Amino acid sequence: MIKTRLHDEYGICVVNPAVERLTAANATAFKEEVLALIDQKQDKLVIDLSDVSFLDSSGIGAMVGLLKRLGNRGEIVVCSLSSGVQQMFKITRMDRVFSSYSDANAAIAAIKERV
Amino acid sequence: MYEYPAESRPEFDSAPLKVVVADDDAVQRAYISAILRKLGHEPHEALDGCQALELLRRISAKILVCDLDMPGLNGYELARQIREEPGDGYVHILMVTGQNQRLQRERALEAGVDDFMGKPVDTASLTARIRSADRLLRHEQLLLQRSAVLARAKERIEDDLRAAADAQRRLLPPAHKDVAGCKFHSAFKPSNILSGDMFGYYRICEGFTAFYAIDVAGHGVHASLMSVALGHLLTSELFRAHSFDGAGHPDPAALVSVLSDRFYREDGTEYFTMFCGMIEHGADRLHYCQAGYPSPYMLTRGGSVRQVGTGGFPVALLAGVPFETSVTSFAADEFLVLCSDGAMEAENRFGEPFDEMRVKAALAEAAAAPETIPDGVVSALERWRGGRTLDDDLTVLVCERTPKQ
Repeated sequence: MIKTRLHDEYGICVVNPAVERLTAANATAFKEEVLALIDQKQDKLVIDLSDVSFLDSSGIGAMVGLLKRLGNRGEIVVCSLSSGVQQMFKITRMDRVFSSYSDANAAIAAIKERV
Repeated sequence: MYEYPAESRPEFDSAPLKVVVADDDAVQRAYISAILRKLGHEPHEALDGCQALELLRRISAKILVCDLDMPGLNGYELARQIREEPGDGYVHILMVTGQNQRLQRERALEAGVDDFMGKPVDTASLTARIRSADRLLRHEQLLLQRSAVLARAKERIEDDLRAAADAQRRLLPPAHKDVAGCKFHSAFKPSNILSGDMFGYYRICEGFTAFYAIDVAGHGVHASLMSVALGHLLTSELFRAHSFDGAGHPDPAALVSVLSDRFYREDGTEYFTMFCGMIEHGADRLHYCQAGYPSPYMLTRGGSVRQVGTGGFPVALLAGVPFETSVTSFAADEFLVLCSDGAMEAENRFGEPFDEMRVKAALAEAAAAPETIPDGVVSALERWRGGRTLDDDLTVLVCERTPKQ
């Protein structure tokens, strides 16, 4: 289900879950697909949530699962959070765990700066 | 655990099949019937399409050998009628046509005929076609038996789930209860049979009443097992042992830390959100730890509403994260309402969530009678969902202070 865009020169991969709701119904599939990317040595990930209007606790679980797999070998950030998703990130303190950017370009620029 | 019937082998199992033979030509009819009898089957003759249809219904035969040209219903019409009837099981239709009648055969296929034989009908081709129909019928029979086995298995699993749901419910306190200077009111709605929600409340010591609500991530069996484990674990003894700091001050975050350490797994994905509160009656204060659970609402009977808490890490999601104890006033005439996120997230037919605004409005409206709030929220959500079941488990817990006069 995910759509990916690769920015070759810096090895940054923008991942779009391409669903409106990231919930118990599809969070595991989403996680598995992104884990496969990580296993293919993609270690700079931008999760673009622009299509996602709602994310539940399973969605949060999936995001943290990715973070755990990546460990300190790489970086995972989020961008384009809707107000509902932002609220969910705030109430679960995920806003302190994931750096968040207004859009994919801002996220890419920020990662480039750190490379 | 559940066994399927084995595939039966046709050569060892040749119970006679009822076959309806429809032809207005008596010689042709008798000839086909004779072959069928020789093959060990049971022919039933019909003089035209209408008779054939009636016969198929009456003796529930599953194979029809019919001529194309018949008075009344012809072969096409007969096939069409048979396909339109809902009936129990598939009727295999063999049609006898002239040799190489391509157009006729195409029309017949469209009408629902399965196979053809050219005139004159010979024993070999009829035998082969009846055998092929027989194989399909047996296959269908097998599928029916299998789906019956699955239906029984599903029933047994659901019975087990219902028994588990009863056990889960018995862990929960009653819908209304007075506990040490508080009245608690609650509603609990699993999205399916089982729920990943859990809550409880107790007097922990003189002057302190504690309560908690938990929402395990995900739902179904997986989440409910964890919620039941937590329901058993969280007792007033556990609160007494872990929810006061070294100096004796209430510190529900310490208890939440204990739970997080206990349930965190490096390779795990299970976690839960929690709101854990301790009411200090003498000081009109609520000490609480919000661990990813939605912010509860503090209300007055007059209907003013304020939200408590701004968030906190969920429990057992990440290792080594801090949990915080916060304090807010909890006046004797106030009451606190906890709603699991199943309330805010419930969407109506148009995909619109019930959201915080509507939750607040529903609470404010019922503020004069806190005991009606849990059921009130449940029915407001049922109306919002238009009768469809909730996607997520729902818990509403109201804590009302009832100080001694």
